[in-house]
Amino acid sequence: MQVTVKLFGALRQYLPAGSGFNSCQLTTQANSMLENVLALLSIPESKAYLVIVNDEKINRKDYASIQVKENDEIVLLPPIKGG
Amino acid sequence: MSWQQQILRVNLSTGDCKIEPLNMEWAEDYLGQRGLGSKYLLEEMDAAADALSAENKLIFATGPLTGTMASTGGRYSVITKGALTGAIACSNSGGKFGAELKHAGYDLLIIEGESEKPVYLHIENDAVELCDASEIWGKTVWQTEELLHAKYRDPLMRFASIGQAGENLCRFASVVNDLHRAAGRSGVGAVMGAKKIKTIAIRGTKGVRNANPAAFFKTVNEVNARMTDRDGMSRDGTIDMVDVTNRFGSFPTRNNRDVQFEGAEKINAEAMHTPNANGHTNLVTNGACFGCTIGCGRICKIDPSHFSVKDKPEYHGASGGLEYETAYALGAAVGVDDIDAATYAGFLCNEYGMDPISLGGSIAAAMELFDIGAISEKDTGGIKLEFGSAEALCTITELTARGEGFGIEIGQGSKRLTKKYGHPDLSMSVKGQEFAAYDGRSMQGMGLAYATSNRGACHLRADPYEHDFETTEITGKAAVVKNSQDEVSFIDSSGLCLFPGGCGWTLDDYRALVAAACDGEWSEQRMQQTGERIWNMERQFNLRAGLGKKDDTLPKRILEEPAPSGTGKGLVSQLGEMLPEYYALRGWDEEGVPTPGTLQRLGL
Repeated sequence: MQVTVKLFGALRQYLPAGSGFNSCQLTTQANSMLENVLALLSIPESKAYLVIVNDEKINRKDYASIQVKENDEIVLLPPIKGG
Repeated sequence: MSWQQQILRVNLSTGDCKIEPLNMEWAEDYLGQRGLGSKYLLEEMDAAADALSAENKLIFATGPLTGTMASTGGRYSVITKGALTGAIACSNSGGKFGAELKHAGYDLLIIEGESEKPVYLHIENDAVELCDASEIWGKTVWQTEELLHAKYRDPLMRFASIGQAGENLCRFASVVNDLHRAAGRSGVGAVMGAKKIKTIAIRGTKGVRNANPAAFFKTVNEVNARMTDRDGMSRDGTIDMVDVTNRFGSFPTRNNRDVQFEGAEKINAEAMHTPNANGHTNLVTNGACFGCTIGCGRICKIDPSHFSVKDKPEYHGASGGLEYETAYALGAAVGVDDIDAATYAGFLCNEYGMDPISLGGSIAAAMELFDIGAISEKDTGGIKLEFGSAEALCTITELTARGEGFGIEIGQGSKRLTKKYGHPDLSMSVKGQEFAAYDGRSMQGMGLAYATSNRGACHLRADPYEHDFETTEITGKAAVVKNSQDEVSFIDSSGLCLFPGGCGWTLDDYRALVAAACDGEWSEQRMQQTGERIWNMERQFNLRAGLGKKDDTLPKRILEEPAPSGTGKGLVSQLGEMLPEYYALRGWDEEGVPTPGTLQRLGL
């Protein structure tokens, strides 16, 4: 099963080698949970980010209970400030 | 200690230039830059005076860390009564001018009165002279620097100048230093224009002294080593945040009618990095201010075949490019997804001296007036001022820069513009200053920060970002906004930049640098109280200027029209619930006035 993962801002460094500017396709097992997909990215636990799946904001406590589906778009947004 | 302990005072009415000792008691209580400059402003001028009158003062202020080896220690602020807002204005800039002022031997430069004829100020350490500016009045910022560099034959001379926008009293005129860094907000350039002072040309060779340089360098190195997250900011700059806020649903679009811009991918960091169909790449390299180890600045080129510069080779070179705020103001806010057009408008802001945020916000308001039929081509001089029109953006920016045609109306700012045409609710501003690139509905804390900012809507007067990304629930937001306002007030008074805070530094790193630069104990408590003192002092200025609770508000759109999409879809700002809690936390009464107990506690 394939999902699209987009990492923006400072999180882009955690995209797998060969990815596009800010996105990649990840292959995961059917019935995978969101936390399983996030684990594939090897983002350090110290890094804070917000997860949006198909335009819906997901709370951290729900990572383990939300099942991803084929062609889901998973977006990770880092904290920002200023401009 | 790293204060120079000297002020340069220049009276334009009399022509007197004199060096005075810095009030060190005030330096201890207000640190420098924003805090210390504002203290002098509060004590020396009638806050009720007209911003464009001779009674207003224009203060260029450095901090104790300006001009030192501390990373990002190149900041200075321009403090005055804002021409755009009528509130206290404190506009912060980087580049190399601030360090040069400090190296010339001055913590503050206070300019007062007004000149009969255009002049410029020439400073070389202790040698100070007011000079006839007739040869540079009417020139752009870029021409001014070029002419004076040639005159003085000194490539290291630094300038802080106004362009024609400041001369013409455009309400959001900026002061531009080092060609493309600016004290941009609140109309500080219009105050400079009203005083008829074109530029401040400085060469300073004194350096900055420190009582214990070995200990200072050790702290600088230790703190710099903790700036571990700067690579992304160096590579992509602040424009990298376009994707983040756009996906979150807090990227104001078409005068805040929308919060997500369908054209964002054409004006984001990737677009800046990627060659277009002609093989042209917008981004040339990054750039850094004095002493900075981040380098967030964008140095860019416009595609020479683009309509905006096709027969204008003077714009084919590299200069300051789009950053997050300009991508918003000259892109999403006006619905334009043309990166070259937005870059061109940004170049004009630097060249003629205008704040791109207020320019974009004012054009966006005019586009909405045009859209609803409140103005027509008859008013605009034939310009089809439609959302999304890159041609209209470029043309109206040129007119505003030169003070011509409908550009004169744009140059009044969105508050005056929308009031004139009968739709004041369409000004997306607070205290007359246009919104920055965040929407106060999906980011409830930012809405409160905009409403309570002493200088009008601003994204850099508080730090509610992380809390706003976590939740739209308003519980705790008043405290986050209040506390971070105090923290930012302290940092803005130090001579350092806010951005290391997003690259690994903590508040304690700022505290350590201030402690290493200044005598005495600088505890966390003293730091917080200094920031709180500065915030309340700015509030005192505004109260004396006639502002108050009625001005701590948001436009009707943000209070009543639900966000149409994004993570905050359906929300309006809950400012009415947050504001009383904020006042209480501040120790202010129900009218937003600091209580006697609060003033006494802070030594005000």
